[in-house]
Amino acid sequence: MVFLALNTAEFIGRFHPILVHLPIGILILALLFIGLSRQERFSYLKEAIGITLFLGMLSAIASCISGYLLSQSESYDPGLIFKHQWFAIALAATSIVLYVLHLKEKRLTWTAGLLAILLMITGHLGGSITHGSDFLFKGSSAKNSKVKNGHKPIANIQEGAAYATLIQPIFESKCIACHGLEKQKAKLRLDGPASILKGGEGGPAIVTGQAEQSALMKRILLAKDNKDHMPPSEKPQLTKEEIDIVEWWINGGASFDRKVSEIQQTDKIKRVFKALSTDHSNDEVSLVDVPEASVSKASESAIQKLRERGITVVPVAQNSNYLLVNYVAIEAFTAKDLKLLQAIKDQLIWLKLPNIALTDERVDELNQLTNLTRLYVQKTNLTDQGIAKLTKLSNLQYLNLSGTKATAKGVASLSGLKNLRHLYLYQTAITDDELKNIRLELPKTNVDGGGYQVPKIEWDTAVSRAPIVK
Amino acid sequence: MRDDNQTRRLIKEAEQARLQQYTRRHFLKDGAMGFGALALGSLLGNCWGNSGSKKLFDAANPLAARPPMFPGKAKSVIYLHMAGAPSQLELFSYKPELAKLDGLDCPPSLLEGKKFAFIRGVPKMLGPQAVFKQRGESGLWLSDNLPHLATVADDIAMLNAVTTEQFNHAPAQLLMHTGSARLGRPSIGSWVTYGMGTENNNLPGFVVLTSGGNNPDAGKSVWGSGFLPSVYQGVQCRSEGDPVLFIKDPKGMDRDLRKASIDAINKVNQEQYSEYNDPETLSRIAQYEMAYKMQISVPDVMNINDEPQYIHEMYGTQPGKTSFANNVLLARKLVEKGVRFVQLFDWGWDTHGDSAGNAVDIGLINKCRKVDRPITALLLDLKQRGLLDETLVIWGTEFGRTPMQENREGKKMPFKGRDHHAAAFNMWMAGGGIKGGTSYGVTDEIGYNIVSGKTEAYDIQATILNQLGFDHEKLTYESQGRNFRLTDLSGKVIKDIIA
Repeated sequence: MVFLALNTAEFIGRFHPILVHLPIGILILALLFIGLSRQERFSYLKEAIGITLFLGMLSAIASCISGYLLSQSESYDPGLIFKHQWFAIALAATSIVLYVLHLKEKRLTWTAGLLAILLMITGHLGGSITHGSDFLFKGSSAKNSKVKNGHKPIANIQEGAAYATLIQPIFESKCIACHGLEKQKAKLRLDGPASILKGGEGGPAIVTGQAEQSALMKRILLAKDNKDHMPPSEKPQLTKEEIDIVEWWINGGASFDRKVSEIQQTDKIKRVFKALSTDHSNDEVSLVDVPEASVSKASESAIQKLRERGITVVPVAQNSNYLLVNYVAIEAFTAKDLKLLQAIKDQLIWLKLPNIALTDERVDELNQLTNLTRLYVQKTNLTDQGIAKLTKLSNLQYLNLSGTKATAKGVASLSGLKNLRHLYLYQTAITDDELKNIRLELPKTNVDGGGYQVPKIEWDTAVSRAPIVK
Repeated sequence: MRDDNQTRRLIKEAEQARLQQYTRRHFLKDGAMGFGALALGSLLGNCWGNSGSKKLFDAANPLAARPPMFPGKAKSVIYLHMAGAPSQLELFSYKPELAKLDGLDCPPSLLEGKKFAFIRGVPKMLGPQAVFKQRGESGLWLSDNLPHLATVADDIAMLNAVTTEQFNHAPAQLLMHTGSARLGRPSIGSWVTYGMGTENNNLPGFVVLTSGGNNPDAGKSVWGSGFLPSVYQGVQCRSEGDPVLFIKDPKGMDRDLRKASIDAINKVNQEQYSEYNDPETLSRIAQYEMAYKMQISVPDVMNINDEPQYIHEMYGTQPGKTSFANNVLLARKLVEKGVRFVQLFDWGWDTHGDSAGNAVDIGLINKCRKVDRPITALLLDLKQRGLLDETLVIWGTEFGRTPMQENREGKKMPFKGRDHHAAAFNMWMAGGGIKGGTSYGVTDEIGYNIVSGKTEAYDIQATILNQLGFDHEKLTYESQGRNFRLTDLSGKVIKDIIA
């Protein structure tokens, strides 16, 4: 009987988050009616004040009751609860007073004003309990402090204390909000060694040395849609690396003072540590090869002239005016065909001239195409002279020079291209040593000299056969 | 005067006859088209966006290059499909727990309520028949059956938890390539060329190359165009003999005569079209034009003899014969020339254990020898030519194989083999904006069921379309009264493996 009573109480308590919206909405409406009805054209609202105040009062009282029952069953920060509870009671009391005053047709102004203030304070305190006291301003600061991948590189991982350097930050970012100072769901706190070892309602959170048996581990490994999965599916989840780290730490004895290097490490966790210690903060935002600035549509007749020659002209996307041009299917290329590109020089960003009779002189035609981000001139007759001219294309990110007569000298002149990220020099006369130098001269560029081999191994020519049965 | 009366009577009669044609059925239908329907129509029109009647392409030039919905990293796709279902447990799926169960009876929990293609009764478990090691910086588990692929492990994104509901070859292949286990739907290559055409109009946009001795079980429908105009079907090219069957001019006919005859045929077709408005006629006209261009362009690009010797060694080609390696080299050449979608099928991976050639420890390894080198060479060759970032390479199959040794009709098999297993298998992707060195999905300790990261054929199709720059939910075509799309009713882009 007592058990049933307890359960019912908790059940009613869980309606608090729903019920609470009623006094907020109805009482605000009542205050609005009180205020507006003072004006001549809204005097008809006077009739509605009574019923609105009555309903607001009732719902405020119901919210208080359910709130009280909820506070008994869930574990919240007692300090926040205390404030919210008494302001709520004050609010309910004021709403009763307001109603009685209205019945007695007295002036409502001051009481109404008090009600409004109490409403705001109670509401804010209630919101702080569920969403955290910094909820209102969390948005602006969090964005600025987030580094790529959400973590800063950790220098000297091996020398740091395992708990302080690795585990504590994970718990702080993913668990403490509900299992810490402000809230202790299931009576579990994860913000200190003693509390972690103590556990909560369901027993100890971890079994030192056995991650598989630890309740904490089990819960974070459950499928995301399982109701016992932690963290709850609407909250930020642990990354794969974080799960690996927690598992390693528990298996290593869940020590709070030992250093990382003192705990045994598997190959898998070593890789995770390596990834954590690399500094990504200087990785530039990867260049997008479609410019963000918009451009006007290229003239239809210019595009038609190109297409009539068998040249493929297509926008890079349906909502973009930028163009990709491919000369692969052209009928009998002549120098004139390059001149046709002038008319679309603002829109042209990707240009493919594979296997075309593109000589160094003809490269002059490309000088105006300064919006180019990708240029494919593989297997053309380009030499260093022509390549030097390409430095005018300052937006170039991708340049395919494979199969051309490029030499190291010519490629060196490309160091002026600040945005060059991909350079292909396969089937050129450039040697491996020269490639090393080129990579030093173009530190931000991925220089691919090709020449990859698939080495011959014995396995290639062996033949698997059924064993001969005697 | 009499004439006038008669005329008026005749007109009246004609009117009445016409009015009699307007039956109750017509009236109701017209009445239903009220303002309500108008409003609903505009609402639905907004919902669907691309209304079915507004087709994407220009019927006169259906394969002309068209822009994708957003700029995609990939411009071409090479899909390598191993028909027959290679055993993932001997290639990609490292399950040491399974080794401990080798030779033991299969636990009843794995058999209850399940249907198998050939397993009957209680089979025995079969441990992995290959040695696995971690490769590359990413630590990808790969068996010794793919030693060359191991060297490019950091370029691959492995999908560990692919699943399907079909455990027979033909429906499973259809599902993987057309989005439905039943015939009649267009294949991925058809959807792609329908969506974005191809950059080189002298070559087909969708080319199919087969090897291994047989066509895949699902037949030519697996590269068919379904309800899309037939110009989008895969063009099967051969690496031995005439590259495309029936494309050569017969003896005595020269190219000019061929052009003249095609022009004449197309003129007649054009007249047919203006009379009947059948879009297939336009498709036919386009295909004749295409075939004419292909007479020159295809033999040119399909000739691997002009490649230098070291390329032949790299791929392990066998010029003059049909081989997977030849097809892979051709795929690279086609993509270099701007072909949009190249589909390769290699038959013969169905290692049931009924013969040495079908044994997971004998035949499977010989098959691996035929594909490991060319696939590795392809990835390296595309990389050095600066094409890997814009070519999406997919290694796929139709389902996986069971952790149990097959026991056909309950009897012991002469060799080690596994039965069809639909619930969990592997596929991988590389290039085209895919993040190498990653993996997605987890299966249980014996590779029987998926634990997390379930990936269906629809998800793979959605990802392919996404890399090319299409929202798989918006690339549609109206047929039989509704809008169809490749992924039909589901499919999510696999974001974990995208760079």
